[in-house]
Order: sequence, then structure tokens, then C-alpha cells
Amino acid sequence: MPGILIVEDDLELREMLRISFARKKFTVLEADNGRDAILHFKPSVTDIVITDLIMPDEDGLKVIMKLKEQKPSIRIIAISGGGKVGPGNYLNLAKALGANAVFSKPFSINDLMIKIDELLEPEQHD
Amino acid sequence: MLKAKSDNHGGEDYLRYLENEKKISDQIIDYSRSMITIINRKYGYEKANATFCRAHRMLTDSIVGRSLGDIWGENTFKAYIKKNIDECFAGKTVRYEASFETPGLGIRYFEVIFRPLSTGNGEVTHLLAETTDIDDLIHSRKAVIEKEEEFRTFETNLPIGFLRVDPEGKIIHANRTFLRIMECGEEVPVLGINVRDFYVEQGIFEMQLDQLAEFNTRSFGRVYLRNCKGREIPCRLSAYVALDDNGRTSYIDFALEDSSRELMLENRLLQAQKLETIGALAGGVAHDFNNILATISGYAEMLQEDLKSDNNHYKKASRIISAVSRGLSLTKQILTFSRQVEQEKVPVSVAEVLKETIGFIKPVLPSGITIKSKLSKNVVWVLADPTQLFRIFLNLMTNAFQAMEEKGGKLAVTQTVVEGRSVRSELNKDIVADEYVLISFKDTGKGMEPSLLKRIFEPFFSTREFGKGTGLGLSVVHGIVTEMEGEILVSSEKDKGSVFNIYLPVLKYTAEPLAGEKRKKILFFSGNKHESRILIIALESSGFDLISANDSDDLYSIFTEPGNSPDLIIYMADTEMIKQEDLAGLYNELKIETPCILITDPDHGVIEENLLNSGIIKQHLLKPVSLRELRDAIQFAIK
Repeated sequence: MPGILIVEDDLELREMLRISFARKKFTVLEADNGRDAILHFKPSVTDIVITDLIMPDEDGLKVIMKLKEQKPSIRIIAISGGGKVGPGNYLNLAKALGANAVFSKPFSINDLMIKIDELLEPEQHD
Repeated sequence: MLKAKSDNHGGEDYLRYLENEKKISDQIIDYSRSMITIINRKYGYEKANATFCRAHRMLTDSIVGRSLGDIWGENTFKAYIKKNIDECFAGKTVRYEASFETPGLGIRYFEVIFRPLSTGNGEVTHLLAETTDIDDLIHSRKAVIEKEEEFRTFETNLPIGFLRVDPEGKIIHANRTFLRIMECGEEVPVLGINVRDFYVEQGIFEMQLDQLAEFNTRSFGRVYLRNCKGREIPCRLSAYVALDDNGRTSYIDFALEDSSRELMLENRLLQAQKLETIGALAGGVAHDFNNILATISGYAEMLQEDLKSDNNHYKKASRIISAVSRGLSLTKQILTFSRQVEQEKVPVSVAEVLKETIGFIKPVLPSGITIKSKLSKNVVWVLADPTQLFRIFLNLMTNAFQAMEEKGGKLAVTQTVVEGRSVRSELNKDIVADEYVLISFKDTGKGMEPSLLKRIFEPFFSTREFGKGTGLGLSVVHGIVTEMEGEILVSSEKDKGSVFNIYLPVLKYTAEPLAGEKRKKILFFSGNKHESRILIIALESSGFDLISANDSDDLYSIFTEPGNSPDLIIYMADTEMIKQEDLAGLYNELKIETPCILITDPDHGVIEENLLNSGIIKQHLLKPVSLRELRDAIQFAIK
């Protein structure tokens, strides 16, 4: 059962993501800001991270850097709905910092699932 | 003096007296600062005073008896002196100024006076020549004239209007700049007019006079004056009161500057700041709104998963997803306006996009409206997202047609290249590109009031009736143009029409095929010819090879011939090249694994695309598709 960490400050969106991943039998961990995500990160049970980029208390870019540092094999998907410099820019930055995939909000949850399956595949071959 | 005076006095006393008198007068003559000589009819010197001798460094004896030609040189005498002397001998006092050289003084300016001396019978026998050194005088006079001239030029050419009025306000003097600012040609004489009459609000003038009485010098800031053509000009005004010896006002000097441009720039800056603020706000809203949309679509998708596709409620979930799509297209526009979406840019020929846009819109042109385009023959490149260019052109043309909807009219589209330097002040930019392409849309529609004109680029501001249009169109155009480091300027006149001018920096570029890595091949099923053409331009400029299929047979051979198969398929939902179910069928039959991107129009209501549910779609994009979205989708689809 793969473990997924959802870092998102929008409560309703996080809830939706939690439910949809629980349905797919993921072990879901949550954080509503970047600092908590970094502080309480559990490398052993987390295979994949979905993180928002613009959040209070450490943004998603910091999350990507810190978590990759702690667990280089971690798969990270960045999601963003635009902000001061636009989702495109933030997402590109996220990619440059090591995010394995990026999605701009709103996104199709099906697309997200397909991507996650794809990202988790090589791990299973190991 | 030379005339012998017959007198009753006789004897030696009288002779001595005469002798004495002669000495005195000789002395007076000698002490004179002028050179004084007596010349006879033979042009010979009969007498010369000490000043003359000093100037010529000669003794009196060596001058007297010699001719003028001898002393001054024959040529000089004949050319400059003789004529005047002859005139004097004819009985006239001759006076002139000339510069010449004497051994003692060098070259200097002199005043020369020849006075005829006559005997009793009126015959002129001699003349008295008095030559005064006026060199210093001439120089100072010249200096005064030069200074005067300098000041006059300065005052005339000063870019500041200058005005002198009498204590009542009547104009005594006005410089050229004043006349220019006030647009007073020759036909309107301003002298004598009271300056008060130029004031839009005359009360202000009285107020200013009161202030001047107290302070003498005063800057009044901005005052509106009505010029000779009746236009109101915002002017920056200051004045100074000159007092006479009794402390009464002698005259008042006004200096004024036309501050229309300043005002215009101020307003524009204000507008820009306002748009910036609205943009930041709207961007924040869009961000939160995207979160909400993501939540909604997520649940809707889960709902779909739970329901079978033949269930009644399945369709309802689809409708929710469609609504999300429309919401997304709205937030996308807001983010474009607030320039929070960086555009993906490629070299694009402006004329090509313009032509496609015109081609796209022509078939749906309302009757009574014509469109005329004049595009420059040379290919002009700009760095842009072709889809965004298409969008702004389409938007401006659509607006023009709507402005002409009631009465019909003509839209003129022109494309020219202008030098950056020459439009610097219009663009109000410190740094300008070398060249700009100016794309102008001029309609003969109903035009706009100035108050409306100020606000058209604000998002959610619409001139159309409530409920029609989102009011985002022009704000998005503004965002796109600004992001391209271009400028959009509008002028409009009520009932006459509007002109939208777009300036985009010209890209120095020569089109050549991209070399290097193997180009990816895309099979493109185009929909509307012109709209698709824009996407094809965008993709080709991005380094993709595009192929198309005209019918199923074509398609069949593309996939069955070795080395022919594409890396990606882009399918526009409105294509007439192949039906969705046929493509899906082909996928099944030939076991094709080529990723496919579907492009649909969110305004076409509920998405019930067959392809979408077939599982072969890797990415689904909604119109309008930007190049960035397209490239991201391609990157996502091709692994």
C-alpha cells in the first residue's frame, strides 16, 4: 500500500484529495502547510508527495527541496493555481527543483492518478 | 575762424589779441580727442591737430601740405574718402562711421564728419574734417545689440509661454510659444486682449491677482485656459509683478507651460497602477477560485467513477465537469490579464496571423460591415504566442464589429513598421525597441465617451448590456500586449469610431528550419481552417513536423507504412477529417499506442466527446489553447 503525503492549505481541496486517494487504497498523510510537512515527514512510509506551491509557513518549493534531501527516491507532484507570478512559472520552478510532475489547478483527478501510477511503476520493479 | 575779421579796433593790440585767440583756438583744437584737419580743394592737408599727428606718428609740418592720397594711400583715398569729400565740397555736411587703421592706434572704429567751410560768398574752399575714435562705443553698442538679440531669441524660442500684461491684465507682449500653446495664428491678434479672457474660470484670475498683490511672485500650479481654437488647455502658470518707483504695479509677467502631455502621462500612469492593483487582486481571486474548481471537479470525477456511464446521474457529473471547464477558462483569462501567466513565445509573422484572423472572422461578418486590410509586404517577425496574437486580433475585430452593429461600417486593419525612437513619447517608455510593428484597427462605429475610454482595459468592465460578455476581453488583450513588452493605445470619438493601435517590438529574425535533434512528428486533425492554422504555425515554430490525413485511407496508410507513424496525434473536436468513433476504431483495430491530445470548445456545452471516454486521450485541452498549454500537454503526452 503506497503512502502519499498531501500538502495543501485549502482544507476542502485537501479533503477531496484525501478521499480520492483513500478510495484507491493509499495510506494518506496530510499537512496544511510546508513547515509541518517538512517537520513531520516520515520517509519510511511516504512514497509520493503532492504539494501545493503557495502556502503559509514555508512554500511548496521548500518542501520539494527538503524532502528530496531527506529521501532522494521520493516522487513529488507539484500542484498550483497561480499566484503572484502565475502557475506556469511556479510549476516550472518546481520542476527545476526536482518535482517529478506538475499539475495546474484545476486538474483532472483521473489524470493525476494515471501520473501517480506511472511514477510509482519503476519503484515496484526494484 | 580763418576769415579775417575787419574791425574798428586797430593797431598792435588787436593783432596781439588775434594772435592770442588763434593760439587758444589752436590749443583747443589740439587738445580735442578727435583728429581734426583742414583740407583744401586739392585734397591736401592745410592743418592737422596734435591728435591727428599722434595717430599718424608724424609732425604737423610733415602733414601740412601733403595730400590725403599721400597719407592714406592712393587706393584707400579713391575708394573710400574722395567721394565723401567731394560731397562736402558741394556744400553738405557728411557724416559716416568706418573702421580704418592708423599707425598710432591700429585698426579702430571712427566717426568721420566733414563740414564745408566757406568764404563769405558761399563758395566752399576748405573743409573741416573731424574724426573721432568711437571704437569702444561701437563695441559696447554691438554688445548691447548682441545681448538684445540673444535675449530675444531666447525669449522667442523658450519652450515656455511668456506674457507681459499691464496692471489691468491687457496683453502688452506675448512670445511665440505662448501663441503656439494658445493656437493663436496671425489672424487672432492677442495684443490688447485681456489675459482674463483666456481663463476658463475667470474667478481664478481675480484670485491670482489678489495673491500677486500680496506676494509679488507666485506659482499657481495647473490652470485651465481656453485657447484661440476654443480648446481647454491645462497650463502650469507662474507670475511676477514688476513695481514702479512708487510701489504701484507697473506690469505683470506670466510664464506658462502646456501641461497636457504631463497630465496625459499622469493619467496613464494612474491607469497602469490601477490595472496593476486590480490584476494583483484578480490574480489572488483566481488562485483561490482554482482551488475551489479543483475540489469540485475532483468530487465530480469520483462521482462518475461510482456511477456507470449509463446511469442518469453520470451525465449530471459530466455537466459539473463541463462547468468547471468554463470556470477554468475564466480564471485563465483573469490570470492572463494580470500577467501571471508567462507566455510561451516563438518567432511569428504578424501578417500571417492577421490574415488567418481575418479569414476566420470574414464568414461570420454581419451584413453592412466591410473589412479592409493593408499589411506590409515584408515579413515582420515578433516574439509571441501565435494563439495569443490570434486572440487579441480576434477580440479587437469582434469589438469593432459590435461597435458597427447598428449602422454598419468599415473596419480598416493596417500593419506598418515604425522606428522606436519616433514613437518613444507616444509609448511613454524610457527604453524602446529599435522597431515596432504597429497594428491598427480603425472602425467607423459608435465610438466611446472619454469617461468610458479610461476604463476599457479594466477587467469585468463591459460596455455591453449586463450579462453579455465577461468584460474580460480587452483586459486580456492588455495583459497579453503588455507581457510582450508592447503597448496598446486607444483613441475614440463618439459616433465617429475608435482606433486601437498595438505596438509590438519587432524581432530581427530570418526563418530557417530548426536543425539538430530529430523533430517530433504530429498528426494534426484540424478543425476550423484558420484557427487550426494558428496552432500549426505555433507548433511548427516550436520545432514539430506536422502531417495531416485527408480521409480514413490516408490515415490507414500513415499507420501501416513503416517509419511513417507519428509521435503524437492532436485532434480538434470540430474536425471534419475523421469522426471520433472512427479514430477510436482505428486505435483498436491497429493497436495504436500513439498518445492523443483532444482539443474541445468549452462553450459548446456539455463535453460528450466519444474520444474522451475511450481512454486513448492523454491530455484534454480547452479552447482557447495557449502555446504554453499545448507544449506542456505535448511534453506530458510524449514520454
